[in-house]
Amino acid sequence: MIRLPRPHYEAIVAHAQREAPRECCGLLAGRGDLVERVYQIANRADQAADLFAERDLMPRVGADPALLPTERYFMDPEELFRALRDIEAQGLEHIANYHSHPATPARPSRTDIEFAAYWPHVYHLICSLADPERPDLRAFRIVDGQVTEVPIVVEDTSGGRVANL
Amino acid sequence: MAVTVLIPAPLRRFTNEQASVQVEAGTVSEALAKLDAQFPGIRDRICEPDGRLRRFVSVFVNGRDVRSLEGLDTPLREGDEVGIIPAMAGGR
Repeated sequence: MIRLPRPHYEAIVAHAQREAPRECCGLLAGRGDLVERVYQIANRADQAADLFAERDLMPRVGADPALLPTERYFMDPEELFRALRDIEAQGLEHIANYHSHPATPARPSRTDIEFAAYWPHVYHLICSLADPERPDLRAFRIVDGQVTEVPIVVEDTSGGRVANL
Repeated sequence: MAVTVLIPAPLRRFTNEQASVQVEAGTVSEALAKLDAQFPGIRDRICEPDGRLRRFVSVFVNGRDVRSLEGLDTPLREGDEVGIIPAMAGGR
């Protein structure tokens, strides 16, 4: 289970909506299962074409690097590094990564599963905007290629549970 | 040159869960060699067999990606911090 205070839930959805049709990405930090901080990270997929190509994970739109961020994300390495340093400096834990699927369901893709291999100890959240009226945020554990959905509990700021997604 | 190598969580199983390791090195490449001497196998997670940096790994000196510096030949000074992180990527 991941406990996600409502303002953080709203920040993730707003980030996804603002970046669409590009995928957004970021990190969640906190303590135990409670998210305390959202780090938005720039999607530099347009500069990471070789990374996807070498694994045969290049989408058709990848022929135009400018369109690559609509179907792939690659977190800006320097921003990612700074965020991870900040998380440790604040005495928090890196709990999860998140990204959006602007036009497809909130399920890990083959690309998501392959790259999750380097981060088996964190949750992977996906915010789908396939139905623009109903953003769908889901969390997964991805270990050795095996995907397990984990419930997200959105909590109001007083800490009470208000919705079980 | 005494430098600190910051170990990312996914690689701490090589370092007995240590988050940072001190080594003596004049370049990034040398720092990785010294790290590997202490914790055999860790460099293979960072570099290809031919020695190039793996595409999905970024290495930093004081927060700057070495790809924008001199790569693995980037010189180190006393007290520098060498960071390592695997890519976070995916999509659709």
